[in-house]
Amino acid sequence: MQIFLIFLAVAGLFIIVMYNSLIAKKNQVENIFAGVDTILKKRFDLIPNLVASVERYMEHEQAILTKVTELRAQAMKPNLSNDQKVALDGKLSAALGSITVAMENYPDLKANENVMHLQRSLNEIEEQISAARRAYNQSVTDLNNAIEMFPTNLIAGWMNLDRKAVFEITAHERQNVNVHQLFQRP
Amino acid sequence: MKSTSELTDFYYKELYPSLDTLEKTRIRILSQLKWYAGMGSVLFVWIILWLEKSYGFMHPLVMAVTFVFIALASIVYRKLVQGYAKDFKTKIIHPLICAIDPNLLYHADFMISQHLFERSNLFQHSIDRYSGNDYVKGNIDNVPIEFSDIHAEYQTRDSKGNTHWNTLFRGLFIVAEFNKYFKSKTVILPDTAEKTFGSLIGGWIQSKNFSRDDLIRLDDPDFEKQFVVYGNDPIEARYILSHTMMKRILEFQKKISYPLFISFIHNHIHIAVGTKKDLFEPSVLRSLLDYKQAMEYIGTLRYTIGIIEELKLNEKLWSKS
Repeated sequence: MQIFLIFLAVAGLFIIVMYNSLIAKKNQVENIFAGVDTILKKRFDLIPNLVASVERYMEHEQAILTKVTELRAQAMKPNLSNDQKVALDGKLSAALGSITVAMENYPDLKANENVMHLQRSLNEIEEQISAARRAYNQSVTDLNNAIEMFPTNLIAGWMNLDRKAVFEITAHERQNVNVHQLFQRP
Repeated sequence: MKSTSELTDFYYKELYPSLDTLEKTRIRILSQLKWYAGMGSVLFVWIILWLEKSYGFMHPLVMAVTFVFIALASIVYRKLVQGYAKDFKTKIIHPLICAIDPNLLYHADFMISQHLFERSNLFQHSIDRYSGNDYVKGNIDNVPIEFSDIHAEYQTRDSKGNTHWNTLFRGLFIVAEFNKYFKSKTVILPDTAEKTFGSLIGGWIQSKNFSRDDLIRLDDPDFEKQFVVYGNDPIEARYILSHTMMKRILEFQKKISYPLFISFIHNHIHIAVGTKKDLFEPSVLRSLLDYKQAMEYIGTLRYTIGIIEELKLNEKLWSKS
């Protein structure tokens, strides 16, 4: 009887520890997502200025500019789930990337102090977003691992915890700057 | 900044007159040391044998005489070498630092303040004795930097009540302004737990380090193998430790064979290189003209001052320029 009670107490303790660690991981994901959200909002604030400054010059890229404005409006809607925000962020980053590439074709733009200032601010925010994405992905991976691995998966199933989506790290973010390659360009 | 080969040329060509004079002094000191050592040894053996006849080897008087001889030997050694070491610093190390960058200030007897050392949060034990030398301060590519040799110690008492001095850190300590703004604390330490116990158990031990902030797992496997990172803001830690920064730190670690401790606090990077010895000190037993010896001085100075270039701390973001 005593052995049974000890076994029961140890099992109970294990369940409590696993339950608490899952809650801590879930809260960590939410906590980091709040940080991601704050930085994403900083980028939203910059977009109208950037679009307004470049649209006079970029006559042939009106479609991209409209797309960026639309995506921003969609991303700023209230009541979006985290997964929806993650998906919209990916699209917005890609659209902003194409604006940056297109800007190369407009020498007048490069001479514009205001546009260059916005571009640099955007680059800095992109770096912060990249860091926030990596932090979020790590916390989601920790949570997803716990949800799928034995024995925490049993508790996670009982708690109705679902796997979460990670941000896709773009090839550009993974790549290290190679100065030699830059200079070897024709 | 001058390359290592340019500095080697400078060492052997420009500094040759000073090296030659110092080398003569070194040979003279060495022969004096040999003479004192020979005479001292004979005298010591003679006194000990004489005392042994009357009291035996284990008598306190024999112990006291031995102690007095050791103390005398160390005083004589210090007295003889003192002037030579000082000359070496003013005639060789100082010009070498000026050759790397003329705007750098050098002071042989100063050190980085204890406040900065403690601020780095790298070594958490309280410090009972703090010393150092060879202090260098200045701007490299508009980045403020300072470094010096540091020896930080703490005292412990054993069960018999005897006090012992333990070294907390001995080596090179560098502080430089970082090229990004941040509010958090991020500490990078050598990864001993994972190397000893593997990633699963080692990782678990690291996450249970209650004296540190949260363990931060980074997405660079090579970096994770070498270092363990603690911080109070997972997003800012990754903002500081971008993929490129992690690669640069790994490259720097490959170049030096000593353990590396790095922290990012108060918009500054603090780097402690655990050399476990006092750098920039001349050895009377080795010639200053010896290539290996020369490369040790030049190499250490070059990699320390070159840290700004190495970690690209001069590439400031627009908001910091």
